[in-house]
Amino acid sequence: MTAEGADSLGLREQIAQNQQTIDRLNRDLEKKSDQVRIIQQISSEITSTLDLDQVLEIVLRATERVLGFQHSMILLKDLAEDTLRLFASRGYDPTGVGAQVAFGEGVIGVVAERKRMMRVGSLGAGIAYITSIRARLEAAGQVAPGGAAAKLPGLPNAQSQLALPLLVKDRLVGVLAVESPRPNAFDELDEILLRIVGNQAATAIDNARTYQMVEKLSRLKRFFSPQLAELIVTGGADDPLKTHRREVTVAFLDLRGFTAFAETSEPEEVMSVLREYHADMGKLILEHEGTLERFTGDGMMIFFNDPVPVPNPAERAVRMALAMRDRVAALLGRWRRRGYELDLGVGIAQGYATIGAIGFEGRWDYGAIGTVTNLAARLCGEAKPGQILIALRVAGEVEDLIEAEEVGPLALKGLAKPVPAFNVVRLRGRV
Amino acid sequence: MIPDRVVELLHGPAFIQVGTRDAQLRPAHAWAIGAVVHADRQTVTFFVHESRSARVLSDLQDNGRVALGVALASHEAYQLKGTYLTSRPTRDEDIALQETYRTKWLAAARQAGYPEEIARPLILGFAYRPGVAVTFQVKEIFLQTPGPGAGNKMA
Amino acid sequence: MGILPDEIKPAMQGVIPSHVVTCSRDGTPNASALSQVYYVDPDHVALSHQFFNKTVRNVRENPRAVVWIISPETFDAWDLGLEYDHSETSGPIFETMDMQIEAIASIVGMKGIFKLKSADIYRVVSVTKNVGERIPLPDIDEPAGQR
Repeated sequence: MTAEGADSLGLREQIAQNQQTIDRLNRDLEKKSDQVRIIQQISSEITSTLDLDQVLEIVLRATERVLGFQHSMILLKDLAEDTLRLFASRGYDPTGVGAQVAFGEGVIGVVAERKRMMRVGSLGAGIAYITSIRARLEAAGQVAPGGAAAKLPGLPNAQSQLALPLLVKDRLVGVLAVESPRPNAFDELDEILLRIVGNQAATAIDNARTYQMVEKLSRLKRFFSPQLAELIVTGGADDPLKTHRREVTVAFLDLRGFTAFAETSEPEEVMSVLREYHADMGKLILEHEGTLERFTGDGMMIFFNDPVPVPNPAERAVRMALAMRDRVAALLGRWRRRGYELDLGVGIAQGYATIGAIGFEGRWDYGAIGTVTNLAARLCGEAKPGQILIALRVAGEVEDLIEAEEVGPLALKGLAKPVPAFNVVRLRGRV
Repeated sequence: MIPDRVVELLHGPAFIQVGTRDAQLRPAHAWAIGAVVHADRQTVTFFVHESRSARVLSDLQDNGRVALGVALASHEAYQLKGTYLTSRPTRDEDIALQETYRTKWLAAARQAGYPEEIARPLILGFAYRPGVAVTFQVKEIFLQTPGPGAGNKMA
Repeated sequence: MGILPDEIKPAMQGVIPSHVVTCSRDGTPNASALSQVYYVDPDHVALSHQFFNKTVRNVRENPRAVVWIISPETFDAWDLGLEYDHSETSGPIFETMDMQIEAIASIVGMKGIFKLKSADIYRVVSVTKNVGERIPLPDIDEPAGQR
């Protein structure tokens, strides 16, 4: 064999050996990148949905199935305050959802406050140590007894905890936490893997939450001014859809003669009148900071003092009704020239109502129920064209403000006794 | 001179640490597997495993300074400081004492909340024979329990 | 250099308490318990400084220390020869330790009372696995008549 031939044989061997090495390296790499690949798949699942509950479910399912964490939870930051709320969990009693954690409380609270991951391997030992110091300080009178932190969500005997802040551009969205009753259950590789999942989760959760907010906002804008709607959605005002009782002033109003008008007129004309009417009434409702609870064609129900408390709700209701009567009178001029017999009737009452979400899954609405709403509706029904009928309570609140004539007691359907009622003639000092 | 409570702890089942240092002030550590307070309540003998005894004895022969950290799992702790007197290999009666100590020690670890899979290998895993019995005279005792009063001299 | 082996990391999670021996400048040793020795990098560890105690005082006079740690998984034990280098009151090591202390203190109702004063950073000068000190795991649990 020539020297060249011998060399090329050796070279072939070398190449074969190198190939074996490359194959082995590829196999090792494949094993490691399996986990990364699965995580990439999760990330595409997460970003394909805007449903918050689904996103949370996908994330926790991944932390269990792929990363092997038996107990995991996701807490989201409250929109207004520095607290977290438990939104989803896996490996726990589901009734824990909704629990609150303040910034700085426990591992999760400190992670939220510092926006930095934390891993603890021996919670029990640390707690025992500081507890015994506390006991001695108490015995020496240097610290007051009690003061242990409020019960935090999680395993009662967790030894290991790993918690990751979910951040979008340095803004805290929430915290992803895993726990184990075994000490030292998590290591650096767990940190790395959780971080990969967490980063995807943060953006997806933030998007889902924003979408949820926008949805809620557009729903609320049907009832409230845009500013109020935004305030409610960002948590600056109490959630009005949560059932509560409040004293409110309720005004019912409708157009007398509207039914006859609608039956005998062209549809385009009916819509045009309604449009003008709604536009003008709507403006006045906003001006007086009333809440439009519902409207049905020509009828409307407006109340004052919910979801945002206002001073002098009765006065506002009466002023609004008077302004509306004036406005309709101006419109009437135009409509009457076209041959329509239309006029406003208003009923106003004050009292406690139960307010909150009324309806069913997929079709919740904000509504109020109570004797006060019945009373206002019946008064409206009794009102002759151009009358603003107010109940006794309202009359008492505004007596210095208005000139009124007694029209009651009226026997009203659904109310046991006849009720005193007054018609608002005008504001005092006005012609 | 050694308070009753400290005597009680030394006889088990406190965790006992031995601290010494060499001529260059470099510290050394060893576990004592059991100890005994002499009738004069001033002298103490503790037992270290042979594998640790070389360094401990070398330090003690150089400067005689020894510190004993005596602690319960509840963090109640005391620090004894003193000077080396003498040493010898452990005898049968010492071993018997050590075995009693080990049993009490394991029970204490369990009671302190260590799970069985940690307590047993941790405590019973300390080699104790063959061993060396080291005797020293206690000069000072300090409270070492973390919290108020830590570091105060007791005797 | 990198003298701390990876296998030592589980011993630095605070699962089983550690011990430290220091020595004052006048030659008096001091033996103290530690809840945790923190891994910084292959050449450094950190001890938490909460109260001003003998250990803290000693290393500031005489920087040499020895720390005993044990792994809760393998039950291998090590002596680390250390030399106190400096203290930190900010930065990633301090933050990691501070967060942990803050979290646990808050659970026990000691928020603000039990605080980290500084993270004391030590250079690791020697690492000795204490084979002789430990009975191998399979040999534990022999009946009383041991060799």
